Formats: sequence, structure tokens, C-alpha cells
Amino acid sequence: MRSTILILLALLLSAPALLVQAQPSGELVIALPNDPTALYIANASDVTTIAVTRQLYDGLLWLDDKGSLHPGLAERWEISDDSTQYTFYLREGVTFHNGEPFTAEAIVAAWEYGLTPGNEYPQYYSSAESVEVLDDFTVRVTTPEPDALFVIDLVEGWFALPPRYLEEVGLEGFQRAPVGTGPFMLEEWVPGDRIVMRAYPDYWNPGEPKVERVVLRVIPDASTRVAAIQTGEVDIVNRLNVEQATLLESNADVRVISYPNDRVFYVAFKNLNSGMGTPIESRQVRQAFNYAINRPGILQALFGGHGQLATGFTAIGNLGYDPELKPYPYDPQRARELLAEAGYGDGFSIGLTCPADAYTNINEVCLTIQRDLAAVGVDVELQFLTTSKFWSEPNYGSTGPMFVDGWSTPAGEALPRIEGAHYPGLYYNSWVDDGITAYVDQLASTIDREERAALYRELSRYLFDDPPFVYLYTLNIFEATTSRVTGYRPLPTETWYLNQVAVDA
Amino acid sequence: MLVLVFFTVRLTGDPVGLMVARNATPEQREAFRVAHGFDRPLAEQFIGYLGNALGGDLGKSLRLHLPNAELIMQRLPATMELALAALLLSLVIAVPLGIISGVFPGSPLDLLARLIGLAGQTIPSFWLAMILILVFAVNLRLFPTFGRDSLEHLVLPAVALSVASMGQMVRLLRSAVLEVSRENYIRTARSKGLSEIVITLRHVTPNALIPLVSVVGVNFTYMLGGSVYIETIFAWPGLGTLLNDAINDSDFPLVQAITIFIAAFAIGLNLLTDIAYDLIDPRARQR
Repeated sequence: MRSTILILLALLLSAPALLVQAQPSGELVIALPNDPTALYIANASDVTTIAVTRQLYDGLLWLDDKGSLHPGLAERWEISDDSTQYTFYLREGVTFHNGEPFTAEAIVAAWEYGLTPGNEYPQYYSSAESVEVLDDFTVRVTTPEPDALFVIDLVEGWFALPPRYLEEVGLEGFQRAPVGTGPFMLEEWVPGDRIVMRAYPDYWNPGEPKVERVVLRVIPDASTRVAAIQTGEVDIVNRLNVEQATLLESNADVRVISYPNDRVFYVAFKNLNSGMGTPIESRQVRQAFNYAINRPGILQALFGGHGQLATGFTAIGNLGYDPELKPYPYDPQRARELLAEAGYGDGFSIGLTCPADAYTNINEVCLTIQRDLAAVGVDVELQFLTTSKFWSEPNYGSTGPMFVDGWSTPAGEALPRIEGAHYPGLYYNSWVDDGITAYVDQLASTIDREERAALYRELSRYLFDDPPFVYLYTLNIFEATTSRVTGYRPLPTETWYLNQVAVDA
Repeated sequence: MLVLVFFTVRLTGDPVGLMVARNATPEQREAFRVAHGFDRPLAEQFIGYLGNALGGDLGKSLRLHLPNAELIMQRLPATMELALAALLLSLVIAVPLGIISGVFPGSPLDLLARLIGLAGQTIPSFWLAMILILVFAVNLRLFPTFGRDSLEHLVLPAVALSVASMGQMVRLLRSAVLEVSRENYIRTARSKGLSEIVITLRHVTPNALIPLVSVVGVNFTYMLGGSVYIETIFAWPGLGTLLNDAINDSDFPLVQAITIFIAAFAIGLNLLTDIAYDLIDPRARQR
């Protein structure tokens, strides 16, 4: 009895402490591998720029590192029965950093300014047909047809913009001095050097952010980034290679983080332009190549085993990833049999194009593929192109019948990359097949996540049995933080939210 | 120069391929192309660009959405600061060392001078930069690793950038001093009974320094344009890192603007060097 009273007393005494929210404190220094090109999301074209920009704004919804959707500026939302109208009920009492109140007009502004010609990413907004203000805190967005990927556009691009401020300074003025509702407000931007942000004291979510100041320093050279975290000059570094991560692991003041990156590397077969009429149009030949290339060897020898063998375009962590699907084993004997069955027992000659230095060790990967295919009697004419040449033509028109590339995807949805690589009429599609097109159409119009996951699993089997690619691997990403950092959880897209990140004094 | 820059950047490929989202439709790509004028014939693009450049308009950056001239002016102070510091550092060390080693060939100081001369011209500066970071920033913690926050931040990049020019200056001065020492007027001065110190300071040094003037001009231009590696390694927010980013992003207008700016700067500096030459050396005036 006495102990119960004591516990109750202790709880009573500690209650005020629990009620008072901790003030944001401390300074977090993050190294950026490149200089952000803009602090406006419709012009943020690389992951670094996107990650930095996000801290200043809020979207209607947001996705965490596990791929779960959370309410942001929209407290709740409804989707119409025909899956084309989204009604968002907005959070009240939110203000922009300049004091301007947040209302439904801010969502209209995000849409209208986002469509400005010359923006790099108008497609976030062009997927919506209309945005109507129903009242101050209710907004309805209509898409021309059911669009499963619209939620990604919402998460990635629809950040509330202050309409009055924009009217005053114009889009160019806004980009120099951006104002959002986000957890941090811009304090200083020295191009090529640093971006300084300060916690927004009136942020709508109590208890966030946890740090008072964030300093983002541009450090283009990876070995300098490693040096800077060793000396404690920065708290978070990314884009480390295996050797650098291993070096930092021995440092007691540094924690190394590793997670799978959502970028699938592959050898593509083309049934368009230069691929037409070549032996790779035969399914057995494509299967044979999947057996012939020693992918476990490549992953081990060139990447120290820090990655996963890919089974398709739906990667680990994606919606509808199928753990039951096992990668093609390395089996040159089976490859030879399949080639013989296809009528190519004596081998043949075929072109493979490689984007020189575009990704880690990619040149070596290409050379290994050439060697492995030679072992089953296929003579690969290997060609290296500069990256801008490589991606310069529609349908990879500048490459041979096969090429090597990697494709990432936003927000844990494999559809953008599946669609991009296969859907007729898209700029970078390389393999067109009616079966795949039908699946893509179905996926794109299925809003329900469970149904979509099932469709992804079916499509993965289809793409596995009749492979338009040799699926290579996905790689782990290495980052490091000093031990005083807590709550840093990067997303598989190499971006982050800093709302929950704290530093010990 | 204008022609060369304009056409070589375009040889590297199409910026649209790198800048527009991967699953963009052909219409969206075309819209981007039109918005930035890449749809016009190359000749027309070139004439427009030439007209603007001659009128002082350096165009607008594709990636940063700001006027190129503004971007260059933002970054110029950092690059100037680094180049001036490196130049000053090489002069402060190279001038006395070069003269002493020329006056006392074979002495231990001469050996040091020849070593610096050799090292400066053979050690790649990006390698030296990394070694400096490892030794003086990571291990000894004497200097910061990167950035441009205080005077301390200037030390390592300035050393890394100065070594090549220092080496060249030491070698040049040493041979100039040796050459001047054999001139008739030096022999005359010596026969008049002047002390070696007076001969060195009043007669040898001023004459040996003349060829250095043009080297200073050339090296300064080299430091402005050639500091891309050093700036990148030390995360120094100057023109070099801006150029590096612009090349990586296929930001054609910005690459053109920076190269033209540096070229114009070099021409101006050459002119100044020639004028300085005339002022210093009476013989140059008579020619």
C-alpha cells in the first residue's frame, strides 16, 4: 500500500515535467554530397536537393522509412467511389514561417505554381485535373482517371505554398527566400557552401523538431566527408563506399548505418530499335543469360556482398515484393542447354552498351558479364558510352540490343520503374509486351494497396518467367552519424525527415 | 574561345536527358527543351548566345535558375581569396629560397630549394590535398578539414594550391640568379669592391626577379581556373566547385559563362603583366 502511494506521488510530481514539451536544442551538422540546386520542390531534381527542401515544407501526407503513409497537413482524407476525387480535411491553426495562415488556398498554390512552364518536375502536378477549395480547410483534388501513383505525387511534390507571399515576390523571389510550414525555416543559404535552418517555433506538431539549428554543409569529395566525421566537424555523412564504412566502423564516436537502396541494376534486352530481329527476342535466350551471368560472384567480388540479388523490378521493401521468388541461380550448364534448345548451340554475337562510370564499379560489372557470356559461347561486343550520350535518345536508341543500367523508384512503389521501362510511348522504355502493358494499366488504376500488392506479385512471376532483363542486384547504402545523433532514419530513397532527429549537447 | 566552349559542351550530349524525370513523357521533355531554347537550330542558338555574351549577358543557369553572372560573382570572392593566399604563400617562400639557392649553389638550403622545386612540379596537388587533410586535420587536429569559415580554413587549401607554383618559382629564380651572377655588370660591381650582400640585393635580385613577373601572372590565372580539384576536395565554395557541379549537371550555359569569364580574366591579367613588365624593365620599353 505504502509503495503504491509512493508511486502515485512520484507520478504526480513528475506530471508537470511530462506536460512541458522539451524545447528544440543543439546544432546538427549534415554533410551534403552536392550543392542543392533549388529549395523549391518542383525544381528539386536530385535526392540531396529533395531531402534538404523537405525540411522547409509539409505535404498533405508523408511516408516514413518503412513505407507507411501518415497524415501531414491533411488530418484525414476520403477517396470517391470512382477513385478519381480526393477530399482532404486540412489541419487548422497552421502558419507559414512568415506568419501567413495556412488554408486550402495553399494547396491550390502548390498545384498552380507547380505547373509553371520550365519547372523541372511539372508531372507531380499535371496528374491532377482540378483543385477546388470547398471551404477554408477542405480541398478536393480530381484526377482524370483512377491513378494509383497519384499518392506518390502528393507525398513527393504537393507541399503547401503561401499564396499571398508568392503573389508578392513571384516564383523567382520565392526560390531565393522560400517560406513553408515545415519544421525548419531557412536562415541562411550560401550557395556551394552551406544552408542553415532554424527550428520553426510555431510548428504545428508539438515536440518537433528536436534540434534548434541544422547546418547543411556541401562536401563534394567522399574522402573529405569521411575525414570531417572523424574530426567531429559534421554529424551525418552519406554516400560512403564499403571501404570508407569499414574504416569508420572502428571509430568509437561514429555509428555506421546501412540499408538497401531502392535501385535495381539490370541488363536490359531491347525488342525495339537495335534489338529487333536479334536472338534475344527468344525467351530461352533471355533465360539462358539469366543463368549464365555469375551474379552472386559479381555481388561478392565487386561489392563485398553488401547487397541483394534482384529477382525483378519489385525490390525488397517495395509494395508487393515477393520473398518466395528466388533469384536465378548461376548455372552455365543450364544456360548452354537453353541456348541449344533455342537453336543457338553454336553461339552468336551481340552488342552490349555500358554507361561508363555512371554507377559504382559498373564498368567492371559490364566486363564480367562479357566474360561470363563468352563462357557459354556468346560473343559480346562491349561498348562504353558517356552517360549523357547513353541517355540521349528515346528508347535507348544510342545503345546496342542490350545495355546495363540501374533504375530507382520513389516511395516504395515499383510501378514508376516498371512503367518507365515497359509502357509503350514512354521515353525510356526498351521492351514492349502486351502482357506487361495490361498489368501496368491494371496496377495504375488500382488504388487499393492490398489489391495492388497482389498484382505486383503476379507481374513479378510474369517478368521472371519471360524475363525482359537479367536482374542483377540492389546495393546497400552506407551512411554514418556521430554517436551524439539519435532518431536519424533515412528512407530507402536516400532522403530523410529531420523532425525526430536529436543531438546530445 | 567563345566558339570552342559553345560547341565542345554540346558534344557531351543532351542536357534534357539528364535533367528531366526518367518516366517523363516525350511531350514533357519537349516542353522543357522549348522553355530553355534547346529546340532551336544550333546556329541560331549560337548567334543568340554570341550576341548576349558580347553585350555582357552571360545567360541563366539551367539547374540553379539564376543569372550566371550573379552566380559567378557569388563565388568569385572565395576563389580570389584562395588564389591570392596561395600566390602570396608561394612568393613568400619561393623568393628568398630561390635567391639563396642561386647565390649559394650546393649549400643545404640549395638542396632544400631543389627538393621543393622538384616536389612542387611532380606531386599532384589533389593527392597532396588529401595527405594534408589526413595529417593536419584528422590526425593532428591542427586545422579544419573543409569549408571557408575562418582564416584557419584557408591554410590547408592554400598550401595545396601553392606547391606547384612554388616549385616552379624556386627553380626559375635559382637559374635566373645563377645566370645574372655571370653577367658582366655583376663582375664590374664585384671589381669595384662592392660587398657580396650589396651585389646580391642591389644588382642580382632586381634583375633575377624580372622573369618572375610573367610567371606570377600566368600562375595566378592557373590558380583561378585550375583550382577545381583543390576546391572540390576542401569543399571550398568558389568558382572551381561551381564549374565542377555545372559540368556534372550538363548545365551548358553556366559552363560557358564560367569558362568565358576565366578566359576574359586571363586576358586582362596578361595585359596587366605586360604593362608591369614595361614599368619594371627599362629594356622592354625601348623595344
